Order: sequence, then structure tokens, then C-alpha cells
Amino acid sequence: MSRAEEGLFVVCDGMGGAPAGEVASELAIQAIARRLTGDESGEGSTSSPFLPHTTRLLDAVRQSNEFIYGQAQKDPRQAGMGTTVVSAWIREQIAGVAHVGDSRAYLWHNERLEPLTRDHSLMEAHIEAGLADEGKKLPVEQQNLLVRVLGREPAVEVDVTEVPVQSGDYVLLCSDGLTRMVSEEELAKAIQTFQEPQQICDHLIATANHNGGADNITVVVVEVTGRWWHQLIKGVGSHLRRTLPTPLTRAGCRNLRCSMKVSSSRTTLLDQA
Amino acid sequence: MTIGRLPDNAMIIDNPAVSGHHARVLLEGQQVILEDLRSTNGTFVNGRPITRHVLQHGDEVLVGKHSIVFDQNAVEPQPVAGAPLESLGDTVYLDTKQHRALRATLESARADAAKSVNARPATPVATAPRRVGVLRVIAGRSEQDQYDLGAHTSLIGRSDTALVRLRGWFKPSVAVAIARSGNSYVATPLGGKTLINDERLEGRRILQDGDMLNVSGLILEFCWKDDVQAESAA
Repeated sequence: MSRAEEGLFVVCDGMGGAPAGEVASELAIQAIARRLTGDESGEGSTSSPFLPHTTRLLDAVRQSNEFIYGQAQKDPRQAGMGTTVVSAWIREQIAGVAHVGDSRAYLWHNERLEPLTRDHSLMEAHIEAGLADEGKKLPVEQQNLLVRVLGREPAVEVDVTEVPVQSGDYVLLCSDGLTRMVSEEELAKAIQTFQEPQQICDHLIATANHNGGADNITVVVVEVTGRWWHQLIKGVGSHLRRTLPTPLTRAGCRNLRCSMKVSSSRTTLLDQA
Repeated sequence: MTIGRLPDNAMIIDNPAVSGHHARVLLEGQQVILEDLRSTNGTFVNGRPITRHVLQHGDEVLVGKHSIVFDQNAVEPQPVAGAPLESLGDTVYLDTKQHRALRATLESARADAAKSVNARPATPVATAPRRVGVLRVIAGRSEQDQYDLGAHTSLIGRSDTALVRLRGWFKPSVAVAIARSGNSYVATPLGGKTLINDERLEGRRILQDGDMLNVSGLILEFCWKDDVQAESAA
């Protein structure tokens, strides 16, 4: 989901191909969007070390977890559903990023790609425990193990960070369908080469598919442009998957240009919105 | 390390067939010992009931309906066989039990690694309290004489969310963001004109003790909090 006019971007990746996974990712997006619409006052804990908008985003993600968990308890068909989430809210040139699972956020700054998230996966847990190196692979059956997702526990720990963004920076959000198939070097190269958000998205999805991408892939690329008095708003292109009912992408954010592209092995792409 | 149904166990298996404190694993010299804690349903290794057993690599421990594989190298924890990881298509989530089991494996692996000669050192855990930086107002109009940089991101600007508020119509909404990164602070210019030690602040910059920031006319000195306290005490 992206509400570009507010600088809000969310990518959720339901667990696997199960229908409940689709439900979970949709519930997450709805819950977060609902939470972040409307009244701003009286929200968020004052003791948060983060800026108010980041704190609101964190609260929204936490509540979406409760919401999905609650739904899963009510409906046996949806028992055990889960989803990853990576979300960025860019306000006053500060990107607040909250995530759970293995969907990622990157910042392109000063010709370099910086990861803003660390996967909540078994692989990362091993690396952090000093048991495995980045390059080393776990056995195939363990590569896809997540240690944290939304909706599977009554409460979830959400990782949060904040980073200032400047004109010329890009924020990229994506599901693991992309990062499994496309290396960080290729991500960096795509941004450097194409510069235009929609083209970057198109290229990355094509590369992932070319490399054998079998999973759903979602990519959101946000370009931070100059400030409002010297910026050029271009159309915001997007490809939306059928299962995302509300195309929330709209042009008009003051200093962001963004594109979103979703590709799925099972669903065809819709025409450009 | 104890295994059992109750939450105070290191490895929790929430199943009625498992006793509150079912078994424990201890280290004796180089040996890893498994002891049954007089559990109702017993503890089995490779199918045989045990009261005390020296674990060998690959041993399969059965607690209630759950089997745990002892992996001496513990580089790759084995999934709990009695509770197969639920497959939801491609990506699979470890539930709390499995997660705790994983944690226990990772921790014991770390402990083992610390013992063995060839071990890579365990990642050090930062326990020292982080130093807090402050901005001292040297010249210009401001609400406070000094600002603690306690937050993850502290802003200087006209914005309501700024820690250091700039007054005046033509001041930038956010002039500078100062973000905490480990034990340092990184300043990023976001609007207007900011000088650092009389040079234009262009990109990100790690702040050093004594750095002078000139943010649209407001002069601020960055320093560490303990230094400030020491100075004022002197």
C-alpha cells in the first residue's frame, strides 16, 4: 500500500500461498491505514525515543498484530494466519521505518544502498548469535523460517528505526520475493541506472522473474525529490495486484515520487493505474 | 537448562504430556548430561527411558510427544520433530515454543563455542550505558540553554516536533536532524543553511565533542553530557 500524499508506504507479505496469508496481509494493511487516518492528537506514548509520526506508525503496526491475531482466533479457517510487514512513513524528511518479518527496507543515499531493516529470520538469528556468516546458507528447509511475524502471537516485538532523507535519496520497500532473487548489488545498480521509480520497479521485477522468481514480489520505490518550491511532480505509476482492492497510490505528495509494483506468479498484473 | 511445561523453563513445551519441570540438561566437564526430573511420562533417548544420560551427537530425546535432537555442533538446530513446522507455503513461522527451543539451542551453541578452542567469539553484548550528547546554546534565541539528545532523532527547526525550535517565518521547518547511531550522533542538513565549525554542513557528519553548529543564526555547541556536568561542577 502507498499513500504517497502522506508519505506512507506499507508492504505486507502474507505467509506463503495460503488464502489466509492473503487475508492476513490485507488485514494488516487495513488496520495500519485505519490507525493512521484521522486524529493525531493524544496518540503515542510521550516517552518514545522516536518522533511522533514514527511512534504512531509503531503503534499502528502493533495494533494490526492484535487485530489479525484476534481475527485468527475467531475464525478457524484463518487460524494461524500471519504476515510480514515493512512500513515507512516519511514526514518532514524523516523516514520512520517499522518492520516485522523478512520484508525489507533500504535507503539509497549518497550512491550507496543501506539496509534499514534486519530480517526476523532464522538465518539472521544465526548470524547475530555468531553461528553463521552472511554468505553461508542454511539447509534449504530452514532458509524460509521466520522467527517473528504479525498475527501469530497476541503481542509482537516491532523493530523501528528513523533515518533522515535528503533530495536524491530513495527508499525501497520489498517483500522477500525480490531479495531472494535479486542481490543488493543489483538493487543498487537498478536505482543508479534508472533513477525513475517506476522504471526501477519494472526492472527489479523483471530481473527477479528472470532469475527464477516464483514467489509474489512487491516493490515500492520512493524517490525523495527537491522541496516543494522546485520540485516536479510526475505521475505516480503503479501496478497493483488483484488482491489489493484499494489502489491507494495517488500523486501529489509534496516531495516524494513513488512507484509500487506487485508481481505474482499466480495473478496477472493489472494495467497501470 | 530445564525442559518442561511451565513458563520458567528454558525450553518450554506446552503440552499436557509434559511435566511442569520435565527434564534438565547440564554440562559436566565436556559432557552434556540429560536428567529426567521424575516426570510423569518419562524422558526417552533414542526410544529408551532414561533417568540420567550422557548426550551424544544425534541423540533423539523424547519429552512427552516432542522429540528434540541433540546436535553437538549446534550450528543448525533441528526442528522439533514431534511438532513439525507448520508449512504455510514458502515462508514458515516458528511459533513461540519452537522459537524458545531455537533460542535455547543458539544459547547453548554459543556457550559451547566459547569453550571450544576454534570457536569464534560470541558477539559481545553492549552493557555500558550509552553516552548522551547535548547541544549547548552559545548564541541566539532559544527556549532552553541546553538540549539533551536523548531521542533517536532530534530535530532543529520551526516544526512542532523539533527539539530545538527555531522562531521566525523564514526559518526552515527542519534544518538539521541529529540521529543517534550506536555511541555517536550523526547530523544531517535538511533545510536552510547550517554551518559546522564555520564550514557549510553538506552531507551526513558524525558530531565531535566541541563541534559548533550555526543553524540559521542559532549557535549550538555539541558536547557529551558527562563533560558538561563535570564542567558545571568545577
